[in-house]
Amino acid sequence: MRDLKHLYYLENLLQEANNELVQKAKNEGGIALGYTCYHIPEVLLNCGNCFSVRLRAPRTGSMDIATYYMSNFLCGYSKAILERAIEGGYNFLNAVLASETCSEINRTLEHFELLDLVPNEKFFLTFLDAPFKIEPHTIKHYVKQTRLKILDMLTSVYGVDTSDEALKKAVEEHNEVCRLMTEIGDYRKEDNPRITGYEYHILNLATYCCPKSLILPILRETAEELKTREPDLKKKFRAKIVVVGSEMDDPEFTSLIEDSGALVVADRYCFGALPGRQEIKLVEGEDVLTQICTHYLRTSQCPRFMSHEKVQERRDYVKSLVDEYGADGVMYEQLKFCEYWGYERALASYVMNGDYGVPTAAVDRQYTASASGQLRTRVQAFVESLEIKKIAKEKEAKKNG
Amino acid sequence: MAEYGKLYKEHTAILKHREWRGFKDTAYDYYRWLVTWKDMIKMVLKAPVSTVKGLWKYRWMCSYLSTPAFVDRHVAGLRGPHLRMAHLHYNMIVKHATGLIHTSFVADEKINPGNKISKKIVLMDEIVPNEVFSGFPNIIPIPLQTIPIFLTSMVDQQITPPYLEVTESFGVPADVCPLPSAEVGVAIEDDYPKMGCCIVASNMPCDGSIMNSSFLDRRLQLPVHLFNIPLRYKGEDVQEYAVDEIKSLIEFLEKQTGEKFDWDAFFAAMKNYNKQLDYELQKWDVNKTPYPQMTGAAFWLYRIYYFNLSGGVDKRFLKVDEKVNKIMMKAYEKKTPVSKEMRHRTVVWSCPANYYTSFANWLENCWGMNVVMDMETMISYLKIDTEDKEQALKDLAKTYQRSIMRTHTKGGYANVVDELWRIVEEYNADTVIMYDQISCKGMDGLTGIFDDQARERNINFIWVKQDLMDPRTISRRDMREQVNKYMQTVLQEEPVDPSLLDFEDDLAW
Repeated sequence: MRDLKHLYYLENLLQEANNELVQKAKNEGGIALGYTCYHIPEVLLNCGNCFSVRLRAPRTGSMDIATYYMSNFLCGYSKAILERAIEGGYNFLNAVLASETCSEINRTLEHFELLDLVPNEKFFLTFLDAPFKIEPHTIKHYVKQTRLKILDMLTSVYGVDTSDEALKKAVEEHNEVCRLMTEIGDYRKEDNPRITGYEYHILNLATYCCPKSLILPILRETAEELKTREPDLKKKFRAKIVVVGSEMDDPEFTSLIEDSGALVVADRYCFGALPGRQEIKLVEGEDVLTQICTHYLRTSQCPRFMSHEKVQERRDYVKSLVDEYGADGVMYEQLKFCEYWGYERALASYVMNGDYGVPTAAVDRQYTASASGQLRTRVQAFVESLEIKKIAKEKEAKKNG
Repeated sequence: MAEYGKLYKEHTAILKHREWRGFKDTAYDYYRWLVTWKDMIKMVLKAPVSTVKGLWKYRWMCSYLSTPAFVDRHVAGLRGPHLRMAHLHYNMIVKHATGLIHTSFVADEKINPGNKISKKIVLMDEIVPNEVFSGFPNIIPIPLQTIPIFLTSMVDQQITPPYLEVTESFGVPADVCPLPSAEVGVAIEDDYPKMGCCIVASNMPCDGSIMNSSFLDRRLQLPVHLFNIPLRYKGEDVQEYAVDEIKSLIEFLEKQTGEKFDWDAFFAAMKNYNKQLDYELQKWDVNKTPYPQMTGAAFWLYRIYYFNLSGGVDKRFLKVDEKVNKIMMKAYEKKTPVSKEMRHRTVVWSCPANYYTSFANWLENCWGMNVVMDMETMISYLKIDTEDKEQALKDLAKTYQRSIMRTHTKGGYANVVDELWRIVEEYNADTVIMYDQISCKGMDGLTGIFDDQARERNINFIWVKQDLMDPRTISRRDMREQVNKYMQTVLQEEPVDPSLLDFEDDLAW
């Protein structure tokens, strides 16, 4: 396939948290708001002249200082973010909006305050209290929290317009990003997809880490370009897989998986598009903030939701992705030391295999893709097993006429 | 007592003979040892067939046979009023726990199929305190994990590793907190008694316990209610939600059991709860003075036990508190020293190792480090209104937000970092034993900050690595060694009892 026009540009853009587009938006008077979690409704951080930046620490090297502060036993993502923050890599931020979702990233972000990491007088850090289940009173609580901890703070500190009109405008822009990403992502459902998982990963990450208004022109052009893109005649993959799991913001992982013979057709992990890039459908006459909050609660697939129906929904959702995207199997991945996904991947991979009959592999990994020889071997073995299963199935089908 | 270590048999640390504490104290200690056996035998005699079946069926039940040794470990070196108070506390724990075991076996459908008690039982996550159940006097709340694994792991350090191995073989990583991991192991092994009409799961205390609920749910197959407690609990903005959660729990229990929430029963229990709290606070006040009277493990073990498992319901705890208070106040007035030599007023912080709950006794006996306050004891000390229903629910909600472990590890660093320095100052402590529970992500995330701030305060800050439920990773001996090194190299002190400096107890219960 011909390279996508903007791929190289986006790849380079993602080498920095404070990238060219972020700097441009800042120079134009934008307010940069960092966040790390789906429990912070992204769209609220794009009100008025604000723009959201989902925090990553690309090109992470040594994490010695973060290890001093947070020991050896915390996940690489939380430590990489702290290390980068100590290095001054997030000095461009005007605020960090957090929720006490997992202990590890919670502690990381607390260090922004403890070590006074961002030299900006108006910089603030807030934590909201997010619920663990969806019921009318928990939605009410979540709405109250987002109002108090996000919108009111933005208004009082930076004078941001957080009126319903401003929220609707942000939703509109957000929805255009989602429509384009869905349109692009849907090509992954093709028998021989015209876009690779790696390319999609790059595009999607850019939508999380760059101001929406500046990334939209690139997305529009890419969507147009893809309409006529021809896939290679000979498939370059041996199996299609859905990747499910914890935070993954290094596209090199997808690249590694695809170099090992699998094609990633669906990205059901933190920083992925499933969920994350679904339109928010607002209904006139209902409270806008409540609708936004409800959307995020309902679409969230975070294992932190521990109610019975949410646990079941997560499994059903993965199965529906397998069917919808024509995948041969599921790879559950877990960032090492991630408590949530450590449990989730163990049980869910067992259930997917046993109860749903979907071939599954479960792996843990580091934050960055470097030194991932073991992971490559695991993926190769999984691809082989999927191929064997396919052959066996074909034989069986032939036998049965 | 000067050479207590010489009483230990090699490897197992079983006592060669009982400690000689002088005639009166030895006689009292022996009498209490007999009382422990009496309570255990009484439990067996109440339902001999069920108990024996339980003993054969469940691996963990054998561990309870070593309960007298557990009590012995925790009263080692104690004398006079301290010995008496500790025994009264441990004996109450034993009495209550044997009751729980008895009920569990009698109600266990695997042992007694079709029994009627099972349906009266509501299982709850062990961290959900008992207070709310006091409004349902006709149902029997049983903390699911307490008897099979939580309490067992304190009695017998050998019981957890097999369950951890099962969980790890299933695919859960070895780096998660071993407490929820061991609880999963019990579920995978099908080692929970089968009973109850429903279960109350909870998001307390931490991420691991949140996640293990899906394993328990899959095994138990009971109607489940998820009881959420806000995490950012210091703010008033979460209180309405917290109260809604309690109301929602009550509604669930009423629906599942057909019982109505009985406000009179609830208020009566809360009156007891408040009285117990008064006694508790008096203990704390005495420990702030130069003459602390209750130091070491009995302090926190009893505190977390009655807070979670009685919550004002079982009046026997109140009676024990009354007795202990009398002994304590008398000793305080006489300025009785709590131990032979009090060199360091010590605060213990972070979660203690279940496999070495008597560590504080060793600190006292070996190094003269008297633990005057610890993190586990410092759970909610708010009173609960006993007249106004709405106010009572608000108070209860705040109490739950400040329950075991989560009160410090959730809601922001100030709750654990700033709180420690407040306690150190209030209790005039010169030493902090800082448990580094290596799998506790909430605490691991603050190690550098603790170090930085301890240096600023010029305090003896001793890190003690441990793995909560897994003595294979860091043994009891390894824990002691970390303190020994600090005391000998940094403070250059000589131990109070050199025979306790180093001994093997890897094969001990």
